Amino acid sequence: MRIGRREILAGAAAMAVPGGPALAQSRAETLRQVTGNTVNTLDPTMPGSTREAFGISVNVYDRLVGFGRKQQGAGWVFDPDTIKGELAERVETRADGTTFTFHLRRDAKFHDGTPVTAEDVKWSFDRHVTARSLAAVQIQTGSWTKAEQFRVIDQHTFEAKVERPDRLALPNLCTLYCMIINSKVAKSHATADDPWAQAWLKDNAAGSGAYRVESFKPGEQVILRRNDDWKGGPLPFFRRIINQTIPEAATRANLIERGDADLSIDLQASDVPALAQRPRVKVVSTPQFNAFTMVAFNTRMAPFDNVKLRQAVAAALPYQDIFKAALFERGAALFGGDWRETPPTARFPQPMPMKTDLARARALMAEAGFPNGLDTTFSFNVGSAATSEPMAALVKESLARIGIRVEIQKLPDAQISTLVTEKKLPFLTETSIAWLPSTDYFFRNFFTGEQRWNYSSWNNAEITDLTAKARFERDPAEYEKLCKRMIAVLAEEVPLILLWQPNQDAVMTQAIDGYTYQYHRQVDYRDLRRA
Amino acid sequence: MRGIAGRAGRRFVSSLPALFGVLVFTFLLMRVLPGDPAIFFASGPNAGQAEIEDIRRRMGLDKPVPEQLLLYLKDIGTGNLGRSMTTGQPVLNDLRNRLPASLELTFCALLIALVLAVPLGILAALRPGSVVDHAVRLLCTLGVCVPTFVSGLLLIYVLYYLLGIAPDPTGRIDIFASQPPEVTGFLLVDAAIAGDWEAWWAAASQLVLPACTMALFVLAPLARMTRASMLAVLTSDFIRTGEALGLSRRRVILVYALRNALLPVITIMGIVFSTMLGANVLVEKVFSWPGVASYALDALLSSDYAPVQGFVLLMASIFVLVNLVVDLLYGLADPRVSIG
Repeated sequence: MRIGRREILAGAAAMAVPGGPALAQSRAETLRQVTGNTVNTLDPTMPGSTREAFGISVNVYDRLVGFGRKQQGAGWVFDPDTIKGELAERVETRADGTTFTFHLRRDAKFHDGTPVTAEDVKWSFDRHVTARSLAAVQIQTGSWTKAEQFRVIDQHTFEAKVERPDRLALPNLCTLYCMIINSKVAKSHATADDPWAQAWLKDNAAGSGAYRVESFKPGEQVILRRNDDWKGGPLPFFRRIINQTIPEAATRANLIERGDADLSIDLQASDVPALAQRPRVKVVSTPQFNAFTMVAFNTRMAPFDNVKLRQAVAAALPYQDIFKAALFERGAALFGGDWRETPPTARFPQPMPMKTDLARARALMAEAGFPNGLDTTFSFNVGSAATSEPMAALVKESLARIGIRVEIQKLPDAQISTLVTEKKLPFLTETSIAWLPSTDYFFRNFFTGEQRWNYSSWNNAEITDLTAKARFERDPAEYEKLCKRMIAVLAEEVPLILLWQPNQDAVMTQAIDGYTYQYHRQVDYRDLRRA
Repeated sequence: MRGIAGRAGRRFVSSLPALFGVLVFTFLLMRVLPGDPAIFFASGPNAGQAEIEDIRRRMGLDKPVPEQLLLYLKDIGTGNLGRSMTTGQPVLNDLRNRLPASLELTFCALLIALVLAVPLGILAALRPGSVVDHAVRLLCTLGVCVPTFVSGLLLIYVLYYLLGIAPDPTGRIDIFASQPPEVTGFLLVDAAIAGDWEAWWAAASQLVLPACTMALFVLAPLARMTRASMLAVLTSDFIRTGEALGLSRRRVILVYALRNALLPVITIMGIVFSTMLGANVLVEKVFSWPGVASYALDALLSSDYAPVQGFVLLMASIFVLVNLVVDLLYGLADPRVSIG
């Protein structure tokens, strides 16, 4: 029966693609990725777009520049320190670091065959800073805020200028929000209410990337076809990409084990060790070095506005046990660092000097003025229950020993984001990620300001001051000094406790090669090939 | 016929207040749920108050609730169900694309369930207390006890993973097969119209596992109801008379007894159908079935108001429709019954 069905389908597929290559051939050149979430838009800058939508847009659109990749351990990871050209064949940075001149590839074409010009680049950047979208909030972290900063020099030359030499100005242009859109096509679909064609670009793509969209069914699947005219790099191996939504993790694992699907990056962490033993399956595990899981305190609300109390909790947590029980040690630890006062490097996140020491925790509790202990709640979102639930149980048990009575609160994702934004939760766990893993960026986004990402609502004058300086610091030695100081203050004040960087487990069939962990934590199909 | 049409029309009009009540109730319920959709959808490193306010304005959530309700009712009146933030599509489009998938699955499951349940129920009723009766009872109990996601995953594990008989449980049609041109949205019907029997086969084989999973779950109410009402009918006077007159046993059971026993079965069928349509979310999730129930669940988890409201309205309308059909079927099964 099985063979019969396959043959029938082979016949059907051959009929569907007249004169196409034999099915065996086309299956080998097709990559089928299965994922639990959905691609909800083709325009990644749309508010509410999913991470999966980011992954698709990386492959459908080009940017001026992108990050390179480097080997780390057995696998590949993106390299934030190498910037390579995509649509720009070269970038000149003026000596003072304020002006970037991009020389566009002369042979680059959009999917409709029209050439990519500096006009398109200008229109795209005007859209990214002007339109109400996710792009504007991201790239303002690189000092990109106004359309006047972007200028067309000639058809193939484009200039972008910042007022002060922001360290993240160029890296921001590598992010997927800075995609270059075919302005002629987009403008023809713009309306008076919607000058940036945001409604049209949600369901349609107008890019120049390595893949074009063959079909897009939100919530079900996206099928991409290789753009054989792509000039942004070596032609990718796979001719066709199927990105299919399969909500059930067990089913995704079955599909890969049987070889019907090729790749999944969101299986359950607890299934991965067993899968790695199977002969047909390959697992590429990469610690997500631009992410971190933490336990955060609300530093603006009693009782955790008390530094001593936060230090007491930090000394009471059984780090190694939590790491084992919640994550099966599948990640890089961010505790147990062997330093005091000054960290060994300026990198962040790095292991912080946190160790379990109950005697010290009890002493700190007394100093903090809670000889009789206290009651609090510990919250996490339902989506992360697989790791957060065992963590919460251990937190509750260990804090009971120093007199803190913890009530565990499990909340739906929408509800917890509301409470976090309104700064109403005293004590919670979250995992977060920064696209641009530089220390001052982490500190600016996670440890200053009023946004949701400042999980501990921390407001420390010294940190605010240091981040403002580091952002524009061009001297590497001075920058390093500033960063080390920020990390030291964090270790002292413990607005939140860093736990670990979870692994990303990419599970694939043996033959898939070249998988690279990207800053957006999705699959860049251009990296992959079938051996 | 005019009588039936008039009756249907009256029933429909009398169900309008109920639909209106459902509309208002869901609308208010969504607004009192904790969790602010604007905050949920505002992401990005610096998504501050300005971005949240902007999304709130776009979703129309910045206005007072009574005004939102009036605007919502006006939109409904013009056939606009709003836009989903999760899929980025108009809700009406989403529902239109997904409803056929759910309906096709539910119809097939109901058909399988009926084909199994009615004969089983009759068999059990003919010999109450016998081995057959107990076997049927066991099967029904199992079907009800095992949650659909367990039986679904079990079927997948055995038939797909271990034996390799079933196709991969991923949606309505094999991903490498060609899809028939869309006419009705029901793949089996569309493939038949196009005369594309390979696609029909691909869709049908994809449908078997989820439909069986659901059928198993609703086997019990149907079979038990058939058994109970058959038992009652079989002891009644007219059956004894028929047997005394020497009518064949087959004729007595299938014509006289079954027809009289069908009324409660039809009632329960209507309820089972509506429940299946809304409650098959687990089956849809397990088999990656692109139906309306899993769509509504995803929307609910992210506090996306418009799709949830659209879904509830759709379900309420279907419920009204199904009840109407059930009433009409009563008349066919038993001409003495007329519901005004």
